[in-house]
Amino acid sequence: MSKASEAIAKFIQGRPRFHACATVAENMVKRPVFKCQDCGQCILSYTAFTCCMRCPKQMRNGPCGGTQEDGHCEVYPERHCIWWLIHKRAKWMGRTKKLARLQQPHDWRWEHTSAWLHVFAGELEPPSWGRE
Amino acid sequence: MDTELSAPNIQLKSGSNLEKLLRAGEFVVCGEMSPPQSVDSGSIAKKCSYFKGYVDAVNLTDNQTAIVRMSSVVSSYLALSGDVEPIMQLTCRDRNRLAMQSDILGAYALGIRNILCLTGDHQKFGNHPDAKGVFDLDAIQVVQMVKKMRDEKQFLCGEEMKQEPRMFIGAAANPCGEPFEMRILNLIKKAAAGADFIQTQPVFDVPGFERWMKVARDEGLDKEVFILAGVMPVRSVKALLYMKESVPGMRIAPEYVKRLEPITEKEAAMEEGVRIAVEIMQQLRQIQGIAGIHIMPVMWESITPRLVEEAGLLPRPEVGQ
Repeated sequence: MSKASEAIAKFIQGRPRFHACATVAENMVKRPVFKCQDCGQCILSYTAFTCCMRCPKQMRNGPCGGTQEDGHCEVYPERHCIWWLIHKRAKWMGRTKKLARLQQPHDWRWEHTSAWLHVFAGELEPPSWGRE
Repeated sequence: MDTELSAPNIQLKSGSNLEKLLRAGEFVVCGEMSPPQSVDSGSIAKKCSYFKGYVDAVNLTDNQTAIVRMSSVVSSYLALSGDVEPIMQLTCRDRNRLAMQSDILGAYALGIRNILCLTGDHQKFGNHPDAKGVFDLDAIQVVQMVKKMRDEKQFLCGEEMKQEPRMFIGAAANPCGEPFEMRILNLIKKAAAGADFIQTQPVFDVPGFERWMKVARDEGLDKEVFILAGVMPVRSVKALLYMKESVPGMRIAPEYVKRLEPITEKEAAMEEGVRIAVEIMQQLRQIQGIAGIHIMPVMWESITPRLVEEAGLLPRPEVGQ
């Protein structure tokens, strides 16, 4: 990210109202499209653009042992296991190698903050767009 | 990364008996016991007598199936005083990263040298379904954290510590779970995160397990981590069917159901259950890349000596100091 975008991002982050507006703008896109859970530390590009924070255990590295044979979640049997969906979509998109990355522990201070601003401010790695 | 796990004179990471035996190339046997749902420390001492001399280490479960039991740290310590080497289970459901690290420090200070890092069953399935699940970290991140504490003498945050907990780090695997490729990937990630040994879910479908093991071998994982295959003795066809219905990723060969189904007498069904478990143990032992067996006699700890004896795994090897 350039120095200018970093300065702008930090300027916005320093002002709670601006930051809230940026978060709302981001959510308007990411909520309906990815069912984003607003963790603020986005790894969508590593999870076939499917938000893994929808998992009841918020697993960021892969499924727990509770995926049923038909791909449903053991906690909420009416839903698909989110990692089952991620795996299916990653195969379809040719992004399975991205699943192998060890995702570091989540920084919970970033919950309900704008991930895009974190990227522009140089605090979060930019999305990994390339296929493989 | 170790290319040869059991090379002689290899630097021990923890010095636990389990590690020494595995590094010496011995085929190990682990047991498992659940701590009491009360303050009855005597029940641990009693269960220890079923395991002592018959297995090399015993898992102490951590509020298994989300039901409140005595703490796994304390139970592991009590097992240690019962002359049984504990493998302390640690789940992410009940603790955040601070509590986990402090429990690890405490456990090491009490003499516990093996740890099994798990994500943990969801609280919905236990006796406090109204609880808040923590899930601050996942099992893979815990493995990484314990390794960092041991090898880099650092807490997760990066701060240094004076004396590090030298734990032998374990994690779990679900060979018959769905989706298959994700299960292998999970194992690869756990090995990469720094797991020293893996304990699998109970196997009731040996050919299915062999398929998983073959892929694991092709990925070279049997050279990176010690893989211990799970075995569970069942007392009745009801128990077997319950596993099939309610435990995801539990594939059960129809043969075992067929064998247990016609037996109506309780004692005879138990005998058949033992025969099935012993058969599975013997078949697993033949599979290349398996470093040991992990017996999970849920609420039936007293059967362990018979299983180990009939599977031809006695006497247990002694470790050199």
